[in-house]
Amino acid sequence: MSESVISVSELTRRFGATTALDSVSVFLPRGAVYGLVGANGAGKTTLIRHILGLLRAERGSVRVFGLDPVADPVAVLLRIGCLSEENDLPGWMRVDELIRYTSAFYPKWDDAYAEELRRAFALDPAAKIKDLSRGQRARAGLLIALAHRPELLVLDEPSSGLDPVVRRDILGAVIRTIADEGRTVLFSSHLLDEVEEVADHVTMIDHGRIVLSAPLDAIKESHRSLNEAFIAHVGSAATPAAEA
Amino acid sequence: MRSPALAIAWEFRQRHRWGFIALAGYFLVLATIKLLIPESSLTFNMDSDERFAVVVMVPLTATFLYVLTVFTFGLSGDVAGRQSMYPARMFTLPVSTTALTLWPMLYGAAAMAMLWLATRLLAVWPSGFDIPVIWPALAAVSLLAWTQALTWMPYGLPGLRVILAVLWLGTVDSIVLLALRYQASEAVMVAIVAPQIPLAFLAARFAVGRARRGDVPDWRGVFARAQSRLQAPRRFASPARAQAWFEWRGHGRSLPAVVGILLPFELAVLWLAKDAPAFVFELLFLVLITPPFMAAFTAWTVNRPNPQVRDSYGVPPFIATRPLTSAELIAAKLKMALWSTLAAWLLVLVALPLALEWSGTWPLVTERVRRLHDAIGTPRTATVVLLILAGFVVATWKQLVQSLHIGLTGRAWIVKGSVLLTLTFLILLGPIVESIIDTPSVQRALWNALPQILAILVALKMSAAAWIATRLDRGRLLGDRALVLGAACWCVAVLALYGVLVWFFSTPFVERSLLALIAILAVPLTRIAAAPLALAWNRHR
Repeated sequence: MSESVISVSELTRRFGATTALDSVSVFLPRGAVYGLVGANGAGKTTLIRHILGLLRAERGSVRVFGLDPVADPVAVLLRIGCLSEENDLPGWMRVDELIRYTSAFYPKWDDAYAEELRRAFALDPAAKIKDLSRGQRARAGLLIALAHRPELLVLDEPSSGLDPVVRRDILGAVIRTIADEGRTVLFSSHLLDEVEEVADHVTMIDHGRIVLSAPLDAIKESHRSLNEAFIAHVGSAATPAAEA
Repeated sequence: MRSPALAIAWEFRQRHRWGFIALAGYFLVLATIKLLIPESSLTFNMDSDERFAVVVMVPLTATFLYVLTVFTFGLSGDVAGRQSMYPARMFTLPVSTTALTLWPMLYGAAAMAMLWLATRLLAVWPSGFDIPVIWPALAAVSLLAWTQALTWMPYGLPGLRVILAVLWLGTVDSIVLLALRYQASEAVMVAIVAPQIPLAFLAARFAVGRARRGDVPDWRGVFARAQSRLQAPRRFASPARAQAWFEWRGHGRSLPAVVGILLPFELAVLWLAKDAPAFVFELLFLVLITPPFMAAFTAWTVNRPNPQVRDSYGVPPFIATRPLTSAELIAAKLKMALWSTLAAWLLVLVALPLALEWSGTWPLVTERVRRLHDAIGTPRTATVVLLILAGFVVATWKQLVQSLHIGLTGRAWIVKGSVLLTLTFLILLGPIVESIIDTPSVQRALWNALPQILAILVALKMSAAAWIATRLDRGRLLGDRALVLGAACWCVAVLALYGVLVWFFSTPFVERSLLALIAILAVPLTRIAAAPLALAWNRHR
């Protein structure tokens, strides 16, 4: 737990008159599960897009594995698996084509693991992506994010696409396995119950500012639950898992 | 806004307000020209083909296509897909299927009729022609109505919509053209065109009803074996190969498909034209110009906005997070464009000789080549033929890739501004060229200043190239080796073209320096080199 996988320092980002991130600093050491929580529009996705190199730091700096993801996208992205909230997989591809296409980019791609995940997610290899349901598409996205056994797994609001069964039975198990193998998971969510189930460390973001960043155990010691901590720091209740 | 009809009208107006404002601006220009003519001392008339085409026909065709796209919802749909292009979000509105069909058709019909009537009223038409009022408006409305029916219909196969649309709309057009050829009266034309409108409405009503029920036939199983041959290979040799395959499957087949659809119709006319040699050569030119012309349109699909993602002009996250450099992503697009060009030309080069032979028009072509051979000799004839062919092939590829640096910026204001500038340039170009042709003193001055003009253009091109190379190097978007290799390839291409030009134009009337400047300007450099910069700017915002 010493080397920083993600190091964000004094990051500020504005979109016109809106300040999406305001002097955000986050340091995530290796080998744990980090939950990034906040209401919709709090700045979670903007922070994640900076980490993936999709946004250039206007002020401050972003380093992933010690590298600038904008200056050196290939070296960074080779070690990251990501599931985007938008889930924009190309609709014309078949599931097996998606797997074969994605496997070409990652030297550490594990065919056996990919097949195992495909079966676990009940994905028909001959099905076209555009014919899949939203939940199935999210599973396909998760499959290609996991199958190269990335050092850092970034999940942007995975619950918004995945159905409750996958969320409860598979996602949690996958995330824990990755962390147990010494790899790192960063996932954003507005579902506090879900974060509480799997995260080791929680960072709360509100109106572009980090309002709390601490190990989950420490938060639970100072507050009865994550929900209570959220109300204390953000001022309103987050969405309960059942409603999402 | 209390009625669904008003809500649907509001959506059209709000979404396309800038297009409609531009349309109103165009009519204002037409009206101004018409008002100015009687008072002007200039001999401004519309009897000139070029001026009439530039001021009336080109904008009329463009606006017709624009209105067609707006009222078929074609700007946001997948024209090659099986699903209906009618927006699925509207199926859940608490209105009848008839209302969902009727209102867009009615608004579209009103827009089309107004478009024609305003053009008829405001444009200055060539003298000596009796321009009809009613039937062209009805023909435009019926074409729109049929297009709406065809685009809103769900199909059993991908691409079937395009094929049926070309065949059906071509048939409807041919009937009108045939009637015109036999000089049918306005009443007959109205009788031919008007009944099509209710028929098209019924077809569209059926299409929307089917789409609303989710009734999409699936005939893909029939073609499963053929399709399996197009699947991804078992394993890609490299990420670059995988990305090239991705581009080819995503965009590369559009141009060969469009050329393949148009070619039979163009070549079929050879059978009708075999007794008119001039027409045969016009057709030949039409066939050869088809790939570069259609490439200009299909280029849009290479970097079209993606309605599936939040920022529709941006790079989709799926692509932006591929572990490839921006230069590698561009290289895949350039390769795809090359394959697409070669596939389209393969179709032309196979079909054209066969059609010439079978239609009996081959001797006309060989005779023309023989005369050229007699005039300039074998090597020059071969060079002319090869250069013309190579010119068309290169032009096709260039059309596919030259706007990459605009589309890939991902900035809507750049894309829309570029379209506006191009249209303005095209509209101004005609009158400028015509005035040059009409004024010998200007021609002489331009000819004398040609070396200086070309030198300035070359200086601008090389300055832009140097600036782009510096930015590519500083941003580490291209390595030193790739930059040097790219520059070397460009130099070789320029030298080769210069050599051919010097050999071909071995006359004291053309300075060699002029040929060198032409070669430098002809070989693409800056726009292609700018593409990785544009993509990086878009990918890392």
